[in-house]
Amino acid sequence: MDQPEFRFYKLSFLLPGLLGLLAVILFPLFFTVRVSLSGWSAVSPGLDFDGLANYRALVSDVRFWQSFERLAGMAVGTVLIQYILGFAMALLVWREIRYRRFFRVLFLVPMMTTPVIMSVIWRTILHESLGPANDFLGLFGLGPYPWLTDGSFAMASVMMVEVWQWTPFMFLLLLAGLISLPREPFLAAAIDGAGPVRTFFNVTFPLMAPVSIGAIIIRLIEASKIMDSVYVLTSGGPGTATETAGYYIYIRGLKDFEIGYAAALSVTYLVVMIVLLTVIAKLLVRTFVGRGT
Amino acid sequence: MMPRFYSALKYAAVLIWSAFVLAPFMWALTTSFKTANGVTGGPTYLPWIQYKPSLHGWESLFGGAGGIDIVQPYIDSIIVTVGASIISIVLGTLAAYGLSRFQYRAGFVKNSDIVFFFISQRIMPPIVLAIPFFLMLQFLGLLDTKTGLIIVYIALLLPIAVWIMVDFFDGVPRAVDEMAMLDGCTPFEAFFKVVLPNSLPGILVALMFCLIFGWNDFFFAFTLTFTDTQLLPVAIVALNSSVTPWWSLSASALISVAPLVLIAFFVERLLSRGTLAGAIR
Amino acid sequence: MKRMLFLTSSACVLTLALASAGRADQVDYTKYGDYANYGSAEDGSSACSYANIDKKDYSGKTLKVISNAVPVIGEPTILHAKQFEDLTGAKVEVVNVPFGDLYQRIMIPFQTGQAAYDVMFYGSLWIGDFHNFLAPVPEEYLQTPGMKDVTQNYKDVATWGDQMVQYPVDGDRNYLKVRADVFNNPEMQKKYKDETGEDLAIPKTWDEYNQIAKFFSGWDWAGDGKKHYGSAEITKRDDLMFSAFIDRVAAYAKNPNVKGGFFFDLKTMTPQVNNPGWVKGLEMFIDAKKAFPPGGENFGLGDAIFSFGGGQSLMEYTWDDPFIQAQEKSSPIRNKVEAAPLPGAYEVWNRDTKKWDKFDTPNAPPYITWGWTSAVAKASKNKEMAFDYLCFFANKPNHALDLQIGRFGINPYRNADFEAKFWEDKLGWTPNVAETYVKTLSGMDKSTNRVFDLRVPGVNQFMSILANGVSQAMAGQKTPQQALDNVAKQWTDVVNKIGKDKVRDAYAKVVALEDQGR
Repeated sequence: MDQPEFRFYKLSFLLPGLLGLLAVILFPLFFTVRVSLSGWSAVSPGLDFDGLANYRALVSDVRFWQSFERLAGMAVGTVLIQYILGFAMALLVWREIRYRRFFRVLFLVPMMTTPVIMSVIWRTILHESLGPANDFLGLFGLGPYPWLTDGSFAMASVMMVEVWQWTPFMFLLLLAGLISLPREPFLAAAIDGAGPVRTFFNVTFPLMAPVSIGAIIIRLIEASKIMDSVYVLTSGGPGTATETAGYYIYIRGLKDFEIGYAAALSVTYLVVMIVLLTVIAKLLVRTFVGRGT
Repeated sequence: MMPRFYSALKYAAVLIWSAFVLAPFMWALTTSFKTANGVTGGPTYLPWIQYKPSLHGWESLFGGAGGIDIVQPYIDSIIVTVGASIISIVLGTLAAYGLSRFQYRAGFVKNSDIVFFFISQRIMPPIVLAIPFFLMLQFLGLLDTKTGLIIVYIALLLPIAVWIMVDFFDGVPRAVDEMAMLDGCTPFEAFFKVVLPNSLPGILVALMFCLIFGWNDFFFAFTLTFTDTQLLPVAIVALNSSVTPWWSLSASALISVAPLVLIAFFVERLLSRGTLAGAIR
Repeated sequence: MKRMLFLTSSACVLTLALASAGRADQVDYTKYGDYANYGSAEDGSSACSYANIDKKDYSGKTLKVISNAVPVIGEPTILHAKQFEDLTGAKVEVVNVPFGDLYQRIMIPFQTGQAAYDVMFYGSLWIGDFHNFLAPVPEEYLQTPGMKDVTQNYKDVATWGDQMVQYPVDGDRNYLKVRADVFNNPEMQKKYKDETGEDLAIPKTWDEYNQIAKFFSGWDWAGDGKKHYGSAEITKRDDLMFSAFIDRVAAYAKNPNVKGGFFFDLKTMTPQVNNPGWVKGLEMFIDAKKAFPPGGENFGLGDAIFSFGGGQSLMEYTWDDPFIQAQEKSSPIRNKVEAAPLPGAYEVWNRDTKKWDKFDTPNAPPYITWGWTSAVAKASKNKEMAFDYLCFFANKPNHALDLQIGRFGINPYRNADFEAKFWEDKLGWTPNVAETYVKTLSGMDKSTNRVFDLRVPGVNQFMSILANGVSQAMAGQKTPQQALDNVAKQWTDVVNKIGKDKVRDAYAKVVALEDQGR
């Protein structure tokens, strides 16, 4: 279909979307880069020229780089958990199970809630004095646990809320992927006498590779922006234990109103993320496809 | 014996996960009927028995004294979300089809780079885009309007639409459109008459994601409006005062998720019928 | 056309006149909710009374208002907006925004030259960033009886240089709240005496505070079968924790004998946050962790309110809200509480002599911490209507109503408010509760050794750096000295970045308020 006479069609499919997006995004993008070279703040609004001052400050901003490390751990951690749980749940309600339609709908619901609001609900659940989490575990003689006041617990709590909210995303993509799988490879495996475990690793998993890669990449992108839950649950505390890059940029940008500096942080963030994601995508393709059929 | 054990394990796993998924909603449901005294005494679960239920949390959502009116925000939210989603789906589907069927090359830029460009729009933390978008809408005179928000949301939703639809079209055999063109169709006709009708499931999944992400956006709805246009998430956090009113927030959480749960039922129907086969690859 | 307009407006006046003639001198709130339960004060005859606002015609005009989330300040904003609409024919659009996001919602339009709001309600500490964008209060509004009755303290808070640019609608300060039923319980007094050898009394110093709080932590001193704790404090990093910290530090570091700055040394603009007085305050803050309820290390204001107001904690020392919550009609600890000034310290750091000064009575400077204020935007095209709205908001009957409804978050700031009688009659407080409340509040207003907020440009940045440092020390990531040294270093950087003179000029105004000692 790449004949020259299709050139017109070729362009008219792609261009409306591409140009539309460029029109909306190009100005903000360049503007951000420009702002990152200025000293725009609460006190001196506007686009003066400050050279690379913001970038120089950023290099030695320990808090930013630490928040980046933390973010990396958190994003990779939550996405992996989401992937495993999402895949498991998709497999469970894929075939023979009663009330599966009910479970399928139920498992989708958390994704449809507004993150800010649900984080507030979670905060009330994890409230160490007034929330049901410790109360419930107390019935089994467990706890009370410092859900939001101990560094590691706070980290785990934030991750749990993220897992709750976004596992459905994985679940839906993987379930739809499973449903659309061809039947033949499974029949062949059955004829070979493969058990469920072997069938999974030799047939299901490799066939699901493309869906998996796409889903993981998208979730990594979204998970990196993690902010609402941090803001509501812990404000980045205790200390800086749960401060992520997104939250740190938010604090510097809109709370402290250091617009110029926050723009520099964001540009750096964008570059690092694009590089990282490209590498991760390549790695994922290699592991999934390399192991596959 | 073994299969029965496996099946018990299976149900146990599903039930545990269901409990985890449901817990916040159950807690929100019971909390929504509490007052300050029902909250400060420690966790309670059963109305009448453990605390005195009150409708205050719910009333505050519908213009009751000491509350806000969420009816108008609800309508505005629907208009903006649906509007932006549909435009994104139209543009995204066309672009995705192009990217799936043709080879584009501009310098070193190839198809995969264009797809990545689309997706990469979601990497930027929204915080930074607040001021540029603000200035842009100010220049266009669209601050505090639904149109302005729709434009911004297109930038947020289009990448999702493109990503899902490219994968989808890649899964539709090329033979389908080639046959159509052998029959004398132009690529447009082939797309609209043959490919599109067969792609409805994919489009619906993409649409669902667009609706979810659009419906739940708080940040841009918050930064780019003043008093005229207030979308649902913004109206709801207007209840999040320094004294967190657990009750009205709980009620609002339940009410804001309602329309999307309807969508979940719809999507599940499609899934179960198998029409989604191939929607996502 | 002109004639038609004239006719309509005169017809309007006529009906309005009729309507108001039929009404007694009481304001009717029934239309707007259950507010009528609180009764109404007399309308009076000030320029902003119902009768006088009724005479204005703003039909066809729209007033845009931004306010805090409902109910604190947000609810009265909406209530008085609805009334204002009904009286003047104007359309009043209100947006309610959570406190954490209020600053940026106002600041972005300011800086980009967008006239987004006519009226803004916000935290008075932002005056250093906002003052350039605010319209000064016109003379005629300064002459209203309500405004004249505002205490000097809160006039100061609303003033930048020699101009009042914020319209006072609320008075705020931090003070101590305790469970009087425990302190006055002979059994508890004996228990405390037996185990510590000291008399149980409302703490006068932070040492005593911590000791009592720790003593009354983790057991059931209320006799309701639950565990109770000593102290609820705001500790969540970006949720007003800086206020709680400054409350504690003021006793050790605001020396009445040292003039010229609490946060900085005004002469050199050297940050004082890491001097021994501040470090001591932080150490005591950390020490108090042992008396926190579960989760108390991540408490926002809302949690502190629930903890004290719900009877879980013995003491609390932030704004009025926990006290009011405890005094709600349905509260389990109604009339079992008492207000008192913030604790102090016998030894106060003197940064001039580099020594600890000893005091015979504890040094306990009140911290006049930020409260709600309001202002009209300079860019507003409806300034007259905007000021009318604010003046109406704070007129006599409205003010009397707002004071009574705890969740409104409007607290005494006029001389007339400091009448114990009002609280006893209107809200059924016992005389002891009402008197300690009024006495504590008015005492703070009269103090000559006060701490004000750091009302300089970039205040949020200074406070968020401070909160981060304190939080790191609280979490054990750094020692108090390290954490505050780090804060001082970052403060210096910020001062240099904003410009030393700029910060100094602004800070000089704060120091002037503190040092004039009136």
